[in-house]
Amino acid sequence: MSEARIQRVLLVLLLIVCTVWLVVPFGMAILWSLVDPSVPWTADHVLPPALSFYRWIDMWQFSSLQRALVTSYALAPLAAITSLLLAIPTAYALGRIDFPGRELAKLACLLPLVVPAFVTAIFFTALLFQLGVHMYRFPAILFAHAVLALPYSIRIMTVSFEQVRQDHIDAARDLGASSWARFRVAYLPALRPGIFASLLIVFIQSIEEFAVAFIVGSPDIVTIPTLLFSALGQDYVRPNAAVLSLILVVPNVMLMLVLERLLRSANPTLASGKVM
Amino acid sequence: MIGVRVDRLTIRFGAFTAVDDVSFQVAPGEFITLLGPSGCGKTTLLRMLSGFLEPTSGSIHLDDVDVSQVPPEARDTALCFQSYALFPHLTVRQNLEFGLIQKRIPRRERKERVATVASTLDLDTQLTKLPNQLSGGQQQRVSLGRALVMRPGVILFDEPLSNLDAKLRDRVRIEIRRIQRDYGLTAIYVTHDQAEALALSDRILVMNGGRVEQSDTPEALYHRPRSRFVADFIGSANVIVGEVEGPADAGIWRARTPIGLLGFTSERQPPRAVTLCWRPEHVHLGDGDLEGIVIDRSFQGNYTDLTVRSGDVDHRIQVSATPLYEGDRTRFAIEPERVVLLEDEV
Amino acid sequence: MTRRRWFVVPLLLAPGLGLILALVGSVVVIAIGQSFGLFSIFGGGAFSLEPWSETLDRRVYWRSVRYSLQVGVVSAFASVALAYPLALWLRKPFQGAAFIGAVLKAPLLVHGLVAAFLYVNVISYHGIFNQFMQAIGVWDGPRRLQNDPGAVGVYILQTWKNMPFALLLLTGAVRSISDDVLDAARDLGAGTWARFRRIVLPLTTSVMQAALVIIYIGALADFSFQVIAGPINRMSLSQLMVFFKDRGDWHAAAVVGVTLMVLALAGAAVLTLFIQLIGRGWPRR
Repeated sequence: MSEARIQRVLLVLLLIVCTVWLVVPFGMAILWSLVDPSVPWTADHVLPPALSFYRWIDMWQFSSLQRALVTSYALAPLAAITSLLLAIPTAYALGRIDFPGRELAKLACLLPLVVPAFVTAIFFTALLFQLGVHMYRFPAILFAHAVLALPYSIRIMTVSFEQVRQDHIDAARDLGASSWARFRVAYLPALRPGIFASLLIVFIQSIEEFAVAFIVGSPDIVTIPTLLFSALGQDYVRPNAAVLSLILVVPNVMLMLVLERLLRSANPTLASGKVM
Repeated sequence: MIGVRVDRLTIRFGAFTAVDDVSFQVAPGEFITLLGPSGCGKTTLLRMLSGFLEPTSGSIHLDDVDVSQVPPEARDTALCFQSYALFPHLTVRQNLEFGLIQKRIPRRERKERVATVASTLDLDTQLTKLPNQLSGGQQQRVSLGRALVMRPGVILFDEPLSNLDAKLRDRVRIEIRRIQRDYGLTAIYVTHDQAEALALSDRILVMNGGRVEQSDTPEALYHRPRSRFVADFIGSANVIVGEVEGPADAGIWRARTPIGLLGFTSERQPPRAVTLCWRPEHVHLGDGDLEGIVIDRSFQGNYTDLTVRSGDVDHRIQVSATPLYEGDRTRFAIEPERVVLLEDEV
Repeated sequence: MTRRRWFVVPLLLAPGLGLILALVGSVVVIAIGQSFGLFSIFGGGAFSLEPWSETLDRRVYWRSVRYSLQVGVVSAFASVALAYPLALWLRKPFQGAAFIGAVLKAPLLVHGLVAAFLYVNVISYHGIFNQFMQAIGVWDGPRRLQNDPGAVGVYILQTWKNMPFALLLLTGAVRSISDDVLDAARDLGAGTWARFRRIVLPLTTSVMQAALVIIYIGALADFSFQVIAGPINRMSLSQLMVFFKDRGDWHAAAVVGVTLMVLALAGAAVLTLFIQLIGRGWPRR
């Protein structure tokens, strides 16, 4: 009796917290992105007096937004594919070959996650200077994004390779399948969800990555996060920052939800550890 | 050593009544078993006795004290879990000590009690191990020891043997019974295994659909089941419907059934239509008034199971040895003392 | 076969693990090298302790170390402390539990910079928070809350972003404790607090430790929250490192970078040790 009541009170309390937690921040961001500059939103109004898509159109036409979008959405798929291709041989070894030191190798694959992002970014730039290739900013960022996302792609693909069943391979061999047919019938079905999940997670990582894009890319290369950062810093115009925030967050949330579902179907144990 | 009194205990979950108006008493030192198929309410009943569930109505008395509202941590009961529920991060000793520490038993007494229980259960050499380093049987004993060391007024068992293999099960069963007698514990034991219940209990409560079907000693339950459900659940039984013709002798009546004329016992006047039951091993093969054809024979080692067709009814006969095979015709007889009148309505 | 394997395995590992080791390795080597005057961007450079001695003499460096350590430790403990009760509450499924869990974990999907903007927007001078405080009569006029000197904004942001992560890990850990084990403890006389202290806490120690360490490292190396919402009179280590680098002082930046890595490792070790020590104390009285 009283327990149910406590539960109800807690629930209501939590709904209030949720409002403060999500609804208010995002609601304010959406409202600010829609403020029409003809009538400023002053403190005496609860809601903006005039709403329009002026800011969105303005940002689209007169800022680096288009360039940033092109850069970000070119980087991300390239980084995803590169990372996957780099990951597959290692994942195969980790997933299907029993060799001494395998656990250590698995652990070593996590290294990029331990080194703080800005340390990596700055001394990666220093490395580029040492090698004399610091002018190739786009390929450099692409390379860094692909390698820094390897912990994710290797982990996912390793699990996928582990799930390929030896008896399927043996059965295919027994039935006289060629190696290509064997790959298609035994490997591909087990790997497919992992491949999608890996592509997607590296894509998201790349879109969101800030440190390397900011340090290596500035000033010529602009991605959405670096554009947002400058919109929050030296050129702080609140409605513009609101527009950029929404452009960064909305597609990514949707992609993440897809990813979550994909990971759950690929391997339930992976789903919990993904976003970081 | 304390007694238990359960009075009109009922629990509902929404529209579903899991335990329906159950009453019984357990004498101090008695070993009773709640027996029934899964979903009959026996585990729910046990969880109410241990305090994890609050009854919708009715009461539970431990030693004449109403404990219906007392939470499990304050109840003088100790539960042995089906899963053992050992604390995986604590050693065997720490597991055994856990309840004593909660009760703030002084250190010296704690040590003594743990040592006694450990030696009773042959766990002396395992005390520093973690649960996952033990075999299933040892884990079972730790779980038992953890309950015993509390010297509870009532010890409750929730299918404690179901995770053991068959051989070990027999050994632990004997051990549980020995310890219960030695410690003079009042015990309530839940199981769906009729063999376990028959071997262990002073008294068995057969449960079905949230109600107690019959409460009796194992022998009475086996030889004088009150309903078709009990007869079927405990051992194997032949059940048949018949029409009473009249009395045959003192306490013996005769009924016309699909396999022929059958005598049965009843202390009072039976209704016209009756449900009768007898055990396969109580049939005498060879001669008698009844007749049938063997349609299946399966040799089981120390006995042989026959399925015999009389008229259009198949029934089972169990004999220690027989020359009969499929297709053979045989006569047989059942003593009226062995044929029980069930209370089921026809 | 085995000889072939000795040959094949390194070949397979090269593009993946090999590149990781090459990149992270060279980053670390260059950072350490530059902090000792080597690998100068402008060519040459010679081993010297000067970058260290010079940087260590600066007050701004020590302020940054203290500040970043504080942000790291406070954020880690605050996030875990908030996540624990929520994880316990969400352990048993009830109506709406999934929804609440999803809402609480939503910040995991929000980019840090976006989070910073959302926060700055809410607490701005004429923002909704100021309005609210005035409306309920707590404050007489609007207050300037952005870049507050106490770094409250940074802590709020760190907790907003990291509590869901701790919650994610702890929910999993708490859910993996079986009901029977908790019931057994209860049956043996353990009340709510005793069950938490003697069963839940020890069984989730390793997960809690992982959450603490990961959040600590992330918050220690924070850049964006500090730059956007943090106090103006102090710099975090990452900020200081970028600041030196932008001035062209790569060697000083390297000193800060190495400091960051050392503090990350040392802090992780200290946290682990601390939790282990407490953990060992739990079963006994």
